[in-house]
Amino acid sequence: MSDGVNRHRHLLLLLSVFVIATCGLIYELVAGTLASYLLGDSVTQFSTIIGVYLFSMGIGSWLSKYLDGNLLKWFIRIEILVGIVGGCSAPLLFALFEYAASFRLILYTLVSLTGMLVGLEIPLLMRILENQLTFKDLVSRVFTFDYIGALLASLIFPLVLVPYLGLIRTALFFGLMNIGVAGFLLHQFRETKPYRPSLITAIALSSLALLSGFVYAEQIMTYTENLTFQDKVIYSKSTSYQRIVLTASNREFRLFLNGNLQFSSADEYRYHEALVHPALQAIPNANRVLVLGGGDGLAVREILKYKSIQSVTLVDLDPGMTNLFRENELLLKLNNRSLLSPKVQIINTDAYNFIRQDTTQYDLIVVDFPDPSNYSIGKLYSLSFYQELNRLLRPGGLAVVQSTSPYIARQSFWCIQHTIAAAGFQTIPYHAYIPSFGEWGYVLLSRNSHWRGNGPLPSGLRFVTTKTIHDMLNFPPDMAEVPTEVNKLNNQVLVHYFEDDWMPYAH
Amino acid sequence: MIGANHQIGHLLRNPGKLPPPTQTQETEVLIVGGGITGLSARRWLWQHGMKDVLLVEMDQRPGGNSSSGQNAVSAYPWGAHYLPIPDLRNRELLDFLTECKAITGFGPSGLPNYNEYFLCHDPEERLFINGHWQAGLVPEVGVPEDDKQQIGRFFKLIDELKQSKGSDGKDAFAIPLDQSSADEAFRKWDSVSFEDFLNGQHFTSPYLRWYVEYGCKDDYGSTLKNTSAWAGLHYFAARKGVAANAEPNAVLTWPEGNTFLVRQLEGQAQSPIRSNMLTFSVQENERGVQALCYDSAKKETIAIQARKVLLATPQFVTQNLLKNRVSTDFQYAPWLVANLTVSGLPQGRGLPLCWDNVIYGSSSVGYVTATHQHLNVDEPQKVITVYWPLVQEPPATARRKAYETSYETWVQQLLAELETAHPGVTPSIHNVDCWIWGHGMIVPTPGFIWGKNCSKAAEPVNGKLFFAHSDLSGISIFEEAFYQGIRAAKEIIGQNRSA
Repeated sequence: MSDGVNRHRHLLLLLSVFVIATCGLIYELVAGTLASYLLGDSVTQFSTIIGVYLFSMGIGSWLSKYLDGNLLKWFIRIEILVGIVGGCSAPLLFALFEYAASFRLILYTLVSLTGMLVGLEIPLLMRILENQLTFKDLVSRVFTFDYIGALLASLIFPLVLVPYLGLIRTALFFGLMNIGVAGFLLHQFRETKPYRPSLITAIALSSLALLSGFVYAEQIMTYTENLTFQDKVIYSKSTSYQRIVLTASNREFRLFLNGNLQFSSADEYRYHEALVHPALQAIPNANRVLVLGGGDGLAVREILKYKSIQSVTLVDLDPGMTNLFRENELLLKLNNRSLLSPKVQIINTDAYNFIRQDTTQYDLIVVDFPDPSNYSIGKLYSLSFYQELNRLLRPGGLAVVQSTSPYIARQSFWCIQHTIAAAGFQTIPYHAYIPSFGEWGYVLLSRNSHWRGNGPLPSGLRFVTTKTIHDMLNFPPDMAEVPTEVNKLNNQVLVHYFEDDWMPYAH
Repeated sequence: MIGANHQIGHLLRNPGKLPPPTQTQETEVLIVGGGITGLSARRWLWQHGMKDVLLVEMDQRPGGNSSSGQNAVSAYPWGAHYLPIPDLRNRELLDFLTECKAITGFGPSGLPNYNEYFLCHDPEERLFINGHWQAGLVPEVGVPEDDKQQIGRFFKLIDELKQSKGSDGKDAFAIPLDQSSADEAFRKWDSVSFEDFLNGQHFTSPYLRWYVEYGCKDDYGSTLKNTSAWAGLHYFAARKGVAANAEPNAVLTWPEGNTFLVRQLEGQAQSPIRSNMLTFSVQENERGVQALCYDSAKKETIAIQARKVLLATPQFVTQNLLKNRVSTDFQYAPWLVANLTVSGLPQGRGLPLCWDNVIYGSSSVGYVTATHQHLNVDEPQKVITVYWPLVQEPPATARRKAYETSYETWVQQLLAELETAHPGVTPSIHNVDCWIWGHGMIVPTPGFIWGKNCSKAAEPVNGKLFFAHSDLSGISIFEEAFYQGIRAAKEIIGQNRSA
């Protein structure tokens, strides 16, 4: 073998070092970013991902001594494997996020696997090159290329890749690069001839898979990250009933159902404290609670702050919703694992049919339905519906109904209040300011007028105090009562009011 | 293809082929026919102390035109599917509705409060016209000014007729129809066709005439040409229901349609009902009447000896049972009813899905959403019921052709109809069931309702044979069938007392 050929060989191999070093760091960055998107708390996520990744590389390096025989063949095989595992990591993690119970396990398994394979690469390469360079040259060149690759990766990742390619396509692209290195070496080195056919097949198949993933990912991205959401979509799923989308920014994450904002993690406490505490603080020793809607478990979180509560029945149509909030780490942190409490019973059924059949008597009923934007939801705000509630409420019990915005949807809010009053209840309308929603309204209802606003509140509330409750009762002139009809199944006036109210805000 | 039970019904044409009776049963009163009329008579007899009554029904369950089906998504009607809230003077019907808990009480002004689960939920009706789904069925969108004026003039006339009373002090148009005034000023319109009437009044607007004919097709299965003007006006001017908690002329409806009312009628009496019983012979004898009934499930015939028999059957059946009663006046419109399970109804501009959905200018009378009264928030699938009176040809021809048409052809026609208002709907349709009603409803042809043959066919024979059916009123609606059953039951009881 002449010197020229040798130089050519090791230059090619060092170029591979550069590419695989870039790829390796990219996988690490993708996993870290994904974990902080999906699980929140970026410092912890990045720190643990980098730790696990580096440790796994150590395992890989250690394992490299057990690889003997045709080292170049081993190296090419490992390149293909790194390409597949690293390339699929991001799409796989996005896809598996909904199986959130084991999400961390999947995440760290993938990170370790990638780390180990990447850890095998450099030691193997050094062994391939050991007879062609002096030891000091070998070490200096391999690591120079390695660290230059790392620098390149760390620069292009935030500046080019994430903004232009997105996480899924970045991972797939670098998977293709790894496989490309395998193909390139196979082509350049004549001694690979005997085992070319099988490896070329593997390369062709895996590149095809990653490429089609690349195309498919683009469709997914345009589908989920459409202009509806200003933040990054970190989870989306269509259940039989609705499309659930979770978006994240540095500050907060938001839940959307069919494109409508349900809450922002930054201020949902205001909404849910205002929903629950004005009612519960007025019911001494309340023990049985019914929650209709509210599959996010956030109202339940507030309810469980009262020691006297013995049972909470949560009725939400969509198991996709309640399962998400029972399994996903990020959301479990938000609802304080409320839906896993032994006191909580979850029933996935239609709320209207449930209350028509239920015969239990409750101390508190929390009615947290979506706004009455269509005729089928409008039925859940009808006179007949509230008449059914009457049957389920203990004589001293209270119910509270989320009643849309009395500022934007003023007619709708007062229509709900009038409908509840027409069902024979005493009503106490009130409102709170939720920055991400605006001014929001609630109606408390009771069968007698024994409500008080100065009962004992659990400690640690961030919004509701006795003073807040008092303030929430005051409706300034721009939200003051307006006359409306009563909403009935056979007139559905509320849906018409709601359309009217929102008309000026529609695009 | 789910057929009406015409195969069993057609056994009547060759009664000689049916087996001789193997046993005899006795009853005071035998009611033949388990439609609304028969069930209404049975209920009235039970409530007035006459318990020894047997009702026999040809089909597997009573119900007649008010039958229904059920699939995984919903119950759905195969025929009659709603009841307008009745006039306050129709006490018998109000009492029945109170027993059904369809009326929950009476308001301070004496107006009934209806069960809001049964009142048709909003939004009720829409019409697809000029590419737009508009609210209500009276054409508005894109209708020229002159047509609008004619429509206005027509409704002014209807309002006057609603208030009008004859020289006998009775309403010009009433339900039950028997309560209508005998004043010639109104009755004279029975002998002219609705078409001639409209021409005479210079109602020429195609939009108005479409709407008026839609009414004839919807309630009578007939066209302007073969509907009596009196019957046509009755459709618009006779409904005067009011309620404390609903608009005038509100309707009561259920996913299963009027099967709800059938079950209520059944449940309000306990005298026996035997299904799968085809009555194929009725003979007077010295002890009353003997009827032969073929049990199509057990394939055997039993003889039923009754003191009195009420034939609560349509006249085309009655004529087969009693050979001397031949009348060609009774014409029946054939219908196609189809139930479709759909996962979506793509549509353009306008109102979303309503209970009643009509396509302007189409030959069906539109479709009703069976799932409309459901309270579920979001149902991935719905069932819609398409009603299609076969009016293009004379009833006998249309009937024969309807039975000859294959299921595939019907489905094609249904899809073509739906595609006009819901482009691209075909892939969203999961199931289509069709039902042919050969004799769907009585047609009130000119001169029929107030002609002699109709009232004659209702007269009892020898104090033993009684007759009741909505076709004896001349229009096929629940209120008339309910009324006819009570009318005949009263005749039966009245004679009992005098005997």
